[in-house]
Amino acid sequence: MLEHLHTKPVKPRRVVVVGAGGFVGGAIARELARDGVPVLGLTRKEVDLTADGAAAAVTEKLEPEDSVVFVSALAPARTSAMLLQNLCMAEAVGQALSARPVAHLLYISSDAVYADDANPVTERSCCQPSSLHGMMHAARELMLKTDVKVPLAILRPSLLYGARDPHNGYGPNRFRRLAEKGETITLFGEGEEQRDHIYIDDVARLVALVLSHRSRGTLNVATGVSTSFREIAEKVVSLSGKRPEIRGTPRQNPITHRHFDITDCLKTFPQFRYTPLQDGLTRAVQPGAS
Amino acid sequence: MTLPVIGFAGLTHLGLVSAVGAAFKGFRVVGYDADAVRVREITDGRMPVVEPDLDDLARTCAARLSYTARLTDLRACDIVYISSDVPTNDRGESDVSGIRGLIADVIPALASHAVLVVLCQVSPGFTRGLPLSPERLFYQVETLVFGRAVERATKPERFIIGCADPARPLPEAYAAFLDAFGCPLLPMRYESAELAKIAINCCLVASVSVANTLAELSERIGADWSEIAPALRLDRRIGAYSYLAPGLGIAGGNLERDLATVLRLSEATGSEASVIASFVRNSRHRKDWALRIVHREVLARKPNATFGVLGLAYKENTHSTKNSPSLSLIEQLKPWPVRVYDPVVPASVVPHPALTAAPSALEAARGSDALMIMTPWPEFRALVASELAAAMAGTAVIDPFRVLDPAAVRTAGLNHFTLGVSTTVSGSAQ
Repeated sequence: MLEHLHTKPVKPRRVVVVGAGGFVGGAIARELARDGVPVLGLTRKEVDLTADGAAAAVTEKLEPEDSVVFVSALAPARTSAMLLQNLCMAEAVGQALSARPVAHLLYISSDAVYADDANPVTERSCCQPSSLHGMMHAARELMLKTDVKVPLAILRPSLLYGARDPHNGYGPNRFRRLAEKGETITLFGEGEEQRDHIYIDDVARLVALVLSHRSRGTLNVATGVSTSFREIAEKVVSLSGKRPEIRGTPRQNPITHRHFDITDCLKTFPQFRYTPLQDGLTRAVQPGAS
Repeated sequence: MTLPVIGFAGLTHLGLVSAVGAAFKGFRVVGYDADAVRVREITDGRMPVVEPDLDDLARTCAARLSYTARLTDLRACDIVYISSDVPTNDRGESDVSGIRGLIADVIPALASHAVLVVLCQVSPGFTRGLPLSPERLFYQVETLVFGRAVERATKPERFIIGCADPARPLPEAYAAFLDAFGCPLLPMRYESAELAKIAINCCLVASVSVANTLAELSERIGADWSEIAPALRLDRRIGAYSYLAPGLGIAGGNLERDLATVLRLSEATGSEASVIASFVRNSRHRKDWALRIVHREVLARKPNATFGVLGLAYKENTHSTKNSPSLSLIEQLKPWPVRVYDPVVPASVVPHPALTAAPSALEAARGSDALMIMTPWPEFRALVASELAAAMAGTAVIDPFRVLDPAAVRTAGLNHFTLGVSTTVSGSAQ
C-alpha cells in the first residue's frame, strides 16, 4: 500500500527519468511533459548504467528537489549475466542517490517478484520469484530500500502493451504484429492462461499520480481483470481488419493463471480508472484511432 | 445456605449484561465501576450499551441490583468477577494494563473468603500469574455475543472454568451460583480454559472463512451460497448453528484479538499456524467487498456518483463500530458525497468531508446512485423496494447481507448486489 506524503497533489519540481529511452520510460516522460512537469530524460546515450563511472555520471545530473524515476533495465533478464548487469545498474543508481539524495524515488519493478501461485495477488503477497527476471526486480527493490534514504515508491506492473512496445513477447504485442502481417498467431495450448494486461499509458498516469503525491510504499499496477491469451488474440485479430489464423498447439505445460486483487489501488487512487482492455487494444492496434 | 452475593468489577458491555443476568437468576448483585458518572447513568436507568431486552431486564431485577463507584462495597460479595474491557490495538494485540490495575485495586477490597473470577478475554498464562491464593482464583470463559448478549448471559450453553486444580471441587458459593444456570460445568486448568475461549473463536472464524471463500467463488461461477448453506447445516458434522453466513470480514475486535494471540503464541513457540494467518488475510479481503462492487458497478460508469449508506455499527443491535466494514467503506469514498443513516450510531463518528446525516433510511437513499446496506439492522428489512427505486437517482443496491428481498428489488428495477451470488448489471441473478 502506498502512503501519500502529499495528501493533495503537488507538481514535482523536476523529474529525472532514468531509462527514458525505453518503452515504459518514454511513456512516463511524455505523460509528465503533458502535465507540464519539467523532465530530464536519461537514456543510455547520456548515461550508460553498465559502464564504469555510471554512479558519478548519474550523481552530477541530480538536484536535491528532483524526483527520480528509475525504470532502466536490461529486460527480460533471462541469464545470470543479465541478472548481474541489472544489479550493477541498480547499484550505480543507489550510489548516486546516496551521494546526492533527492526528494523522491520511484522504482518500476514487476509482478514477476511474486510467487507463481499467489492468486489473487496483492501488495502483501509473498515475494518468491520463479525467474531470474523476478529475482532481479526483487533484489533491486531491496537494494534501493537499503541504500537510498529518500521516500521510495515501488510500482509492480503486470504485463504491459502498447503501440510502441519494442519487445515481441507472447501476448498483445506479438499478436498485433502477426495480425498486421496476416500471419498465423500460435498459442501455447489453446491460449487458456489468463493474465492481467496493462495499457502503457495507465502506468505512465499512475507514475504521475505517485510523483505528485510523493507516495511511498508499494503498489501493483494491474486492472483487476484477467483475460485469456486466446481472447486477446481474437480481439487483436478483430481490430486488425485482417483474418490471420489463430492456432492452438499441443500443451507442453500446465495451465497457470494470474489474477490481481486491486483493492489497494482503489484506496490509494480512488478516482483513477484503468483503460478497459478493448479500448487499450484499439489504441495499440490502431494508434491513430484515438 | 443463603444465596451468594455476586460482584462485577467493570460495568462494561460484558459486566453490565452479566450483572443483569445474575440478578435475573435471583442473586443480589453489586456492580462496581471506577467511573462515577457511568455508575450514576446506569443507576438512573440510562444504559451505556445497546442490547435487546437489557433495559427491561434491568428494570425487572432492579431490587437485586446495586451499582457503586466505591471499591469497599465489593466487600459484601462472595464472588467478584473482573469484567472490564481489555482494549486492542489495530493489530488485535491486547493491552492488559487496565485489567491488571483493576485487579490490583479489587484484591485488597475482597472479603477474606471471597472468590475472584477473571471473566474478560486474556491470553493463556495470565490468570496463573495473578497474586491471589489459587483456591480463590478462577478464570471463566465469557461468550458474549453483541446483539444477543442477554440471551447468552441468562441461558449459557455451558460454563468453562479455569482452576489451579480442576480435580478439586469449586468453592461452595461459586458452585451454587453457577448451578443456578442449569448448564454443564467444565472445570479445567487455567491455561486450558484461557485457550478454550480462543479455540471457540477460532472455530467460528474457520466456519465464516469457509463461507466467505465459497461465497466469493459462488459469485464468480453462477452459484448461490444461500442455497448451499442450508444443505451444510443439515450435516451433523457441521451443525445447524454453524457460522455459515458470509460476511464482510471479522469485526468487533474480539475474534481479531484471538487470532492475533494464536499467531503470537505460535511464533513464540514455533507451532504451525499458517491457517490462522489465512483467516486474517481472508477477513481483510472480504472487508472491501462492497468497495470493489462500488468501483466496478457504479464508479466505472458514473465517476461523479453520490452514495447512500445504511448502517454504521459493525453488526445489528449494537452501538459498537469497532472494525466496522461500513466505516471502512465510507473512509474510501471521500471524493464523493455520502448520506448515512444508522438507528443508533451517530453520523458524527464518521470522518468524511462530504457526509450528510439523514433522518431515516429512505432519506439516506434519496438522490443516491448507489445504496449500500452495510449493517443488517432489522428496521431496514421494512424498506419497500419500489420506494427506494423512486427515491434513488441510480439503480445499484449493494446489500451484502441480503436484507432486502432480491426478487422485490429486481422487480423495482434496481440492481441487487449481495454476498454469495453473482449479479449482472441488468439485475438478474445468474
